Amino acid sequence: MAMRDLVTGAPSCGEPSSSNPLGALANALIGSSSKNQERLKEIPTSVSTSSNGNFLGGVEEPLVSLPGSEFEHPLQPNIQGSQFFQGFRSADQNRLADAWDEIQRPQLPFAHGSQNMTNIPLEHSRLQPDLNGPPQQVLSSFLHSFVNSSHGGVPFRPASLPLLGLSEGDKQCIRDRSTIMARHFFADKSEDFIHGQVNALLSSLEIDNHVRARGPVPGRYPELEEYWNESLAMKPAPHVADGWINEFAQNRVGHADPNAWVQSFEQQHGANGWASEFEHEQSQLGMIGQMRGANIPNLAAMEQTRMLAHTLAQNNDPKFQNSKFLQFVSKMSRGEITIEENQFKPAVSSGDWAAEYQQQHNGGQTWADQFAHEELSRGPQGWVNEFSAEREQHGSVNNEWVNEFSKLNVNDDWADEFGRQVAEGAFGETSADGWAEAYDEYMNEQAALKQQSDASRGVYVFSDLNPYVGHPNPLKEGQELFRKGLLSEAVLALEAEVLKNPENAEGWRLLGIAHAENDDDQQAIAAMMRAQEADPANLEVLLSLGVSHTNELEQQAALKYLYSWLRHHPKYGSIAPQDQPVSFYHADVARLFTDAAQMAPDDADVHIVLGVLYNLSREYDKAIESFKTALKLKPRDYSLWNKLGATQANSVQSADAIEAYQQALDIKPNYVRAWANMGISYANQGMYEDSIRYYVRALAMNPKADNAWQYLRISLSCASRNDMLKACDSRNLDVLQKEFPL
Amino acid sequence: MPVFKTPFNGYSVKFSPFYENRLAVATAQNFGILGNGRVHILELTPNGPISELSAFDTADGVYDVCWSEAHDSLVIAASGDGSVKLYDLSLPPTNNPIRSFKEHTREVHSVDYNTVRKDSFLSASWDDTVKLWTVDRNASVRTFKEHAYCVYSAAWNPRHADIFASASGDCTTRIWDVREPGSTMILPAHEFEILACDWNKYDDCIIATASVDKSIKVWDVRNYRVPIAVLNGHGYAVRKVRFSPHRASAMVSCSYDMTVCMWDYMVEDALIGRYDHHTEFAVGVDMSVLVEGLLASTGWDELVYVWQHGMDPRAP
Repeated sequence: MAMRDLVTGAPSCGEPSSSNPLGALANALIGSSSKNQERLKEIPTSVSTSSNGNFLGGVEEPLVSLPGSEFEHPLQPNIQGSQFFQGFRSADQNRLADAWDEIQRPQLPFAHGSQNMTNIPLEHSRLQPDLNGPPQQVLSSFLHSFVNSSHGGVPFRPASLPLLGLSEGDKQCIRDRSTIMARHFFADKSEDFIHGQVNALLSSLEIDNHVRARGPVPGRYPELEEYWNESLAMKPAPHVADGWINEFAQNRVGHADPNAWVQSFEQQHGANGWASEFEHEQSQLGMIGQMRGANIPNLAAMEQTRMLAHTLAQNNDPKFQNSKFLQFVSKMSRGEITIEENQFKPAVSSGDWAAEYQQQHNGGQTWADQFAHEELSRGPQGWVNEFSAEREQHGSVNNEWVNEFSKLNVNDDWADEFGRQVAEGAFGETSADGWAEAYDEYMNEQAALKQQSDASRGVYVFSDLNPYVGHPNPLKEGQELFRKGLLSEAVLALEAEVLKNPENAEGWRLLGIAHAENDDDQQAIAAMMRAQEADPANLEVLLSLGVSHTNELEQQAALKYLYSWLRHHPKYGSIAPQDQPVSFYHADVARLFTDAAQMAPDDADVHIVLGVLYNLSREYDKAIESFKTALKLKPRDYSLWNKLGATQANSVQSADAIEAYQQALDIKPNYVRAWANMGISYANQGMYEDSIRYYVRALAMNPKADNAWQYLRISLSCASRNDMLKACDSRNLDVLQKEFPL
Repeated sequence: MPVFKTPFNGYSVKFSPFYENRLAVATAQNFGILGNGRVHILELTPNGPISELSAFDTADGVYDVCWSEAHDSLVIAASGDGSVKLYDLSLPPTNNPIRSFKEHTREVHSVDYNTVRKDSFLSASWDDTVKLWTVDRNASVRTFKEHAYCVYSAAWNPRHADIFASASGDCTTRIWDVREPGSTMILPAHEFEILACDWNKYDDCIIATASVDKSIKVWDVRNYRVPIAVLNGHGYAVRKVRFSPHRASAMVSCSYDMTVCMWDYMVEDALIGRYDHHTEFAVGVDMSVLVEGLLASTGWDELVYVWQHGMDPRAP
């Protein structure tokens, strides 16, 4: 059977029982029994017997007297209004009965009242017209991912789908229903976010965005709706890039197996032709993209599936972590599943066709690499620029919208809300990290771009214009730079390394550490997750992930990684229960590590983890104790000094913290994080001028440390240096360094 | 506690008002976004599994079911294709549905049978209207069109045969008297969409509304300016709310946060029970009229649970 038939739902596919490989796959993976696929029985098109009347016995009132019916007909002037509500108010329920009786008297015969009831035609004609829909399981798991994206409120990043052969009616239906439902799932999110989610779903299903959907709820901000529609109408058509995917999909289904495609392509273009063809395609697309703001991220479907899996894995809900769908997506993203001979199979090796291509042509770059290299090295920035340009073109509309928005005082509302959050959280028990993060989130939600932002959680964002791409040994170079403390340079070199060798766990790990030391936990987490993927048992990676998630106040994720660290540790693996728990309780994990510390009191790592754990539970005294113990064993570990300092700062011992940071900086002068932390400690003590100097110093070393920019801004305000806010907002380091020398 | 696995995603579950061991379940494929639907009639066996008495397939997803209060074998189903279908269990599936009422132009999201006069039922639809029907006329008796957005639910007053409430995405709940030309009361109950409403079974002036804002509010229609109670505890939109037929202040709700919650709106800590048994959105819940404390729920994890309040639904 041709592949196309299978995936498009050609007649043979009408019976999704066994012949649909995607269905079979979903069954195998999601574990839903094949009973789900039970064929619907033949639905009769006519009914010979009738049960008319046999159920009417219980009806007490003759139908003609059913109240309310008269309103479908000209209203009789003599009908009295109900006194129901007077009845309510007087609590005299008998009035209602009176009212009812009164109404009953002037009975109206209705137009159809005389109809012989046993002759009402039964409705058979529209019965179950087509049960042969699209291959249900494909769609099912796809829609599943859409629905599941609501759990974490994460942007929905669909993978591209095979052609499904949806009818226009189906598309309309998907569009309308998913729009209405999305408003329920994403109640906390902005209308933009909801549209982003739904549009992501729709464009992947190749559903035309122009089909008019059910608008947003009127009544909430009806004035905004108009502007929303206007701005929507001005948006560039989103499907330019999809064309490529369509074409690709068509090519793919046109051949029975992936190899055939590759071969036939090679026949046409030679072994290296593919890459150049791809480049060619890309440049064409790029041109279109420049004109219309193409949705480039759609192209890297695999990468996105991976991101989706990661993002989903971040959700703290244990149920979610158990989600079968999540497992499905993870397997997909790791290429453990592939289409082969019309069957989904767990891949023997790395799986997807790109990898297969690579295996056959060792030495040639995969298209993914090529893509990453070409696109990501200069892509995201370019894309953002394009988008900004696009926005500028439509600036009038946007401004108008914003103005209108301010008029409605919505801005004030959120400003208030923000103020309230600051008052409650900023300098209280939650650490500065916490509220900066909350602020970030809030800002992100407000930003219309959010759903397309590459910088969202779990996605590694590569730098543009990387001079180390093409370097013969970027890893070695990166290690050297890292050792020298040139963190930003090291990041570039290591990025070049992982672009070249995406499976190099060490490259990703060091990249993650460089980011962590550069005070960028988001990128650190993204890199570490890639490292963990390449080497799931790497202890250093697991520990770093635990620490980074602790910094981001993500307890469940942090506990998960710290627990994994224990499990994979050769010495302590036996302590951990074999089956991984569904959810992690702090006390349980802490107990395991206490056991481990008793087993091996001289292992600094265990004490470090304990320190991190106590930070999670905010038992700072214990945490300080653990770190101090570890420092006795590892006095030259600058990151450990930094951890001690951060913990002391959190437990309101900022003066001690500064000492610890100083230790860290003595060992490693270019330790951006310690500089920034030093600034926080001064700020905590109310020494804002001092804190500014440290922030500026940290930023001079790594201008990309977004958190530090925000801290700096706060300190400038607190120190009444509003004159420098402009320099801060425009990130003008020259001015700042001149003004605040250290 | 018995469990039943449905092939499609559960959307609604209702106990029969005639047989204490009988249930109707509405299901829809692909979360009701696209595909077929099925109505299951289930029977609880003593200490045994749940057995399926009958099942009816539909071309589109089924979003809600309700039992006729007049005849023990009649079930009404709300379909995604805008039709309302009438099934007679005494006939084989091949002879069903015995009626299909097609007037709504959009998805029908809920149906509710009149419990007082027992002669009519309501359908609430995404076409912004509520319609009044009788089982033996193939055209609706009346259409109530005032809401400005999808109507997600309509519920009869348990005491007054002509009064009902409707819950809509236009952020209002409206109280209607079918003898009146327009709605009698507009209750701007929430700032966000309202997905469900239900009347107290002991006090005919008390109504509960459930909203996308994650809260349930309890109102007295005689004084609707402030709610009597605001019940917070769900983590996502609250999908359904039902008052207990046995205890005046008890209610049950289900939510997109995958939980089913029991509430007592009269006490300070209103949340008196939380059931975390579903692994996907919990969208259908009911309390048995005939057996006190017997609960049923269904969700997008394709499972129907029946359990006694206070027990673990998943206990074997």
